[in-house]
Amino acid sequence: MSGVQLDSIVKAYGAVEVVHGIDLAVAEQEFVVLVGPSGCGKSTTLRMIAGLEEISGGTLTIDGKVMNAVAPKDRDVAMVFQNYALYPHLDVAENIAFGLRIRREAKQRIAESITEVAEILGLTPYLERRPADLSGGQRQRVAMGRAIVRNPKVFLFDEPLSNLDAKLRTQMRAEIKRLHKRLGATSIYVTHDQVEAMTLADRIVVMHDGRIEQIGTPMELFLNPVNTFVAGFLGSPPMNQVRAVVEENGVGPVASFGGQKLPLAPLPDLKSRVGAEVVLGIRPEYVTAVTADTADQVNIDMDLIETLGSEALLHASLADEPFVIKAETIGNVRSLETVTGFTIQPDLIRVFDGETGLALGGQDRAA
Amino acid sequence: MANMRLYSRGDKTFVILNMFLVGMFTLSTLYPFIYIASLSMSAGFEARAGNVVLGPVGLTLDAYRWVLSEPMFWISYRNTFIYTIGGTLMSLILIIPGAYALSRPQLYGRRFWNLMVAFTMWFHAGMIPFFLNMRDLGLLDSYFGIIIGFAVNGFNIILLRNFFENIPQSFEEAARMDGASEFQILWKVYVPLSKPAIATVALFCLVSRWNGFFWAMVLLQDEQKIPLQVYLRQTIAYLSDDEEFSSTLINQTYSVETVTAAIIVCSIIPVLLVYPFLQKYFNKGILLGGVKE
Amino acid sequence: MTDISDRKQSVVFQPSRTQRVIEALKRDWQLYLMLAPTIIWLLLFLYKPMYGLQIAFKDYSVFRGIAGSPWVGFEHFQTLFDNDQFLRALKNTIVISFWSLLVGFPVPILLALMFNEILNQTFKKTAQTIVYLPHFISSVIIAGIVIASFSPSSGVVNTFLGWFGADPVYFLTKPEWFRPIFIGTNIWQEAGFSSIVYLAAIAGVSPTLYESAVIDGASRWQMMWKITIPSIMTTIIIMLIIRIGNMLEVSFEMIILLYQPATYETADVVNTFIYRQGLQGGQYDLAAAAGLFNAVVAFVLVMSANAISKRYSRTSLW
Repeated sequence: MSGVQLDSIVKAYGAVEVVHGIDLAVAEQEFVVLVGPSGCGKSTTLRMIAGLEEISGGTLTIDGKVMNAVAPKDRDVAMVFQNYALYPHLDVAENIAFGLRIRREAKQRIAESITEVAEILGLTPYLERRPADLSGGQRQRVAMGRAIVRNPKVFLFDEPLSNLDAKLRTQMRAEIKRLHKRLGATSIYVTHDQVEAMTLADRIVVMHDGRIEQIGTPMELFLNPVNTFVAGFLGSPPMNQVRAVVEENGVGPVASFGGQKLPLAPLPDLKSRVGAEVVLGIRPEYVTAVTADTADQVNIDMDLIETLGSEALLHASLADEPFVIKAETIGNVRSLETVTGFTIQPDLIRVFDGETGLALGGQDRAA
Repeated sequence: MANMRLYSRGDKTFVILNMFLVGMFTLSTLYPFIYIASLSMSAGFEARAGNVVLGPVGLTLDAYRWVLSEPMFWISYRNTFIYTIGGTLMSLILIIPGAYALSRPQLYGRRFWNLMVAFTMWFHAGMIPFFLNMRDLGLLDSYFGIIIGFAVNGFNIILLRNFFENIPQSFEEAARMDGASEFQILWKVYVPLSKPAIATVALFCLVSRWNGFFWAMVLLQDEQKIPLQVYLRQTIAYLSDDEEFSSTLINQTYSVETVTAAIIVCSIIPVLLVYPFLQKYFNKGILLGGVKE
Repeated sequence: MTDISDRKQSVVFQPSRTQRVIEALKRDWQLYLMLAPTIIWLLLFLYKPMYGLQIAFKDYSVFRGIAGSPWVGFEHFQTLFDNDQFLRALKNTIVISFWSLLVGFPVPILLALMFNEILNQTFKKTAQTIVYLPHFISSVIIAGIVIASFSPSSGVVNTFLGWFGADPVYFLTKPEWFRPIFIGTNIWQEAGFSSIVYLAAIAGVSPTLYESAVIDGASRWQMMWKITIPSIMTTIIIMLIIRIGNMLEVSFEMIILLYQPATYETADVVNTFIYRQGLQGGQYDLAAAAGLFNAVVAFVLVMSANAISKRYSRTSLW
């Protein structure tokens, strides 16, 4: 099987361990995104795959071959760096050709490769320019061109879009996705931006403190975060987390917090937890804001409204914790100011253990 | 800020007084050069009598004629070029790879090697052991001795090393992933990226070589090998005592004073020619090497 | 999917020191190849002479060589401290350093402040270009200029004094004139160039400080005292510490060029003493002892300066 395989990969600097034994299998042609807060070990992991950091423990396999002690140049991987690392003294064509020249490819073939790559990336008019004379997006494209021209087995991306402004980032994101579709190369992409992760990935790997928290498709992670960390990391704005106590009211389980009650879906795990503390995970998108008193409504104290255009974020507090609701603005901009509470379908509430933060119940709610 | 009309009267007085003082200091820096240039173009007897103050008196270029027809002047001038160019090249050949290696975080024992460089800036064995060492190495009275013996200095290594350290690591990594060897990374990536720093070091070397005097005087006995500065020194020190030379002066329009001044002018001219380049770089150089955060 | 409750115990392989060295050599042999010439040069030209310093404790003879000469302990140091010439050189070194520091240290700071107050950029650039220049001129030429200017018969200084009816003075043979001329020459040569460091520090002061001061109605004189000088105080103190650390480094090359037996009394410093005794007089061991004494004192001064400035500014000088 082609692809990249990590088995119990460890990184330690002296006595300090920063990556604690990671297992990950990236299939051929798959686009995997490593995401997590800064310092979670995602970049270190990527650099170990690239061969820029030594692997302290575990086994790295690329295309079925163990790569732990193989020099970066012999791993057949290419990397796009955060700051692009374009050589300012070389023009675009020379930058793209750098790797091929170092490998002493035939002149003819180098020329052909440059033409081809420039065409793919729309860089043909700029081949003779220096990086200093290019826009941010063009530089980004040159950096990718330098990787593509090598035709490697695996592409590695180290936060390649974080130096671009918001608009350009969205544009380049789409371009990377298109490129992956076209080339179909195995790609591992590191970012701290969960939107990038959601939009680009076949599968997302959420990392935290040198460990993998969860691996899954974007929708799996969005709908079924395995713990409060993943729940709080993905989604924009992230999942609301409300501390509550499980009670039984004869019909089924209910969550009780700050004198209010909210019916829960009858998960088997809940029966044994009556009286125990849980964390309710409530997506801002899944609640319905209400203005007049409704029977099942949960009351909130409104704080302020951020209007984003078609949507608005309602910042409120619930049981002294911040609570955010995402509501559509069309037709009800006025009425948003009079919101007093919300309702939600019980099966859209995610329940986590109050102590361990692990999700309760099924992981099989479909997208 | 530069709009004078917005200034109060006190500020205007301050600004004008300040300009006057800076102007005075500048003129007093410039004057000795003008004086020497005037002297070099004055008639010998006028110079002798102390009549030259500003501008040539009894304009003549005879002093230059004398200097330019003197074989030793040309020999020492040629030697200075050999020492300057050879020495600077030698310095760059030794310093650039060394500084690059010292700048790499993965270099094992990096702290030790860096300390070894820095220590030479704090402690020097001194004149005598250095001289005896040069003698023991058989480098007395040799072109090569002068060129190699002063090729490296800690300050230049550290200046360049700091510059290399500040180049983002990803340049090296990108080149490494492309399969470049360390020599290729240095030559094809780091050297082109470090042109300003390398130019600074090269110019420092050029100037110190051009001006080098003391060790050339100590290490070189052979007249045929001495550089311009040593020749100049000998001329200043001995011409006035040289009766044969003095006796030739009786009917001449040049004198010891004007000849000395002419050699000085000839020796300053190359420095003036590279001075614009120097000025472009030394600001940076001082800040690069001086203080490391 | 990884379960958090089931985190694996990771095993890290800890290689021994020798293994690490071998690994590093294998991986980075090219770097060591680049480093080698520099290190060999340092060993051959700077560290080997340190080994040769032992002649300071030996009765050195050229024929027996450094290793073969017999030890004499601290005899040379005793000789030195009984030697009037050495003591005089020591005293001169300290006196010249002290006056250089006292008179010479403030000049570049003043220059930088004055340059900063100049509004006309062309004037400023021209003036800077001129005052930096002497730094790049060799000491032989500078000495040549000094000798020519101060000559009793032809020099411009005496010509000038003559206008006021003064008799010509042979300045360079007068012990009382040596230090003022030497220190003045040094300032003339280096003050402009030394001001660059302070100008850079001034350039680092945020312009908004001045803008808000202007709005508050401050005069330029007040801004210089209340904003510029306090802002560059760290730099001033660091430079002062460095200067004190390098006290013993009197530019002896210039002294050799300017002094003569008549002025030894005030001009002879430790390094010129070493030069005369060792290189001219052939008393290598005695001169090496003087050099060692000089180097050790300098080392202590420099290290203390570095330590103090590190503490003061959290900035290492090297």
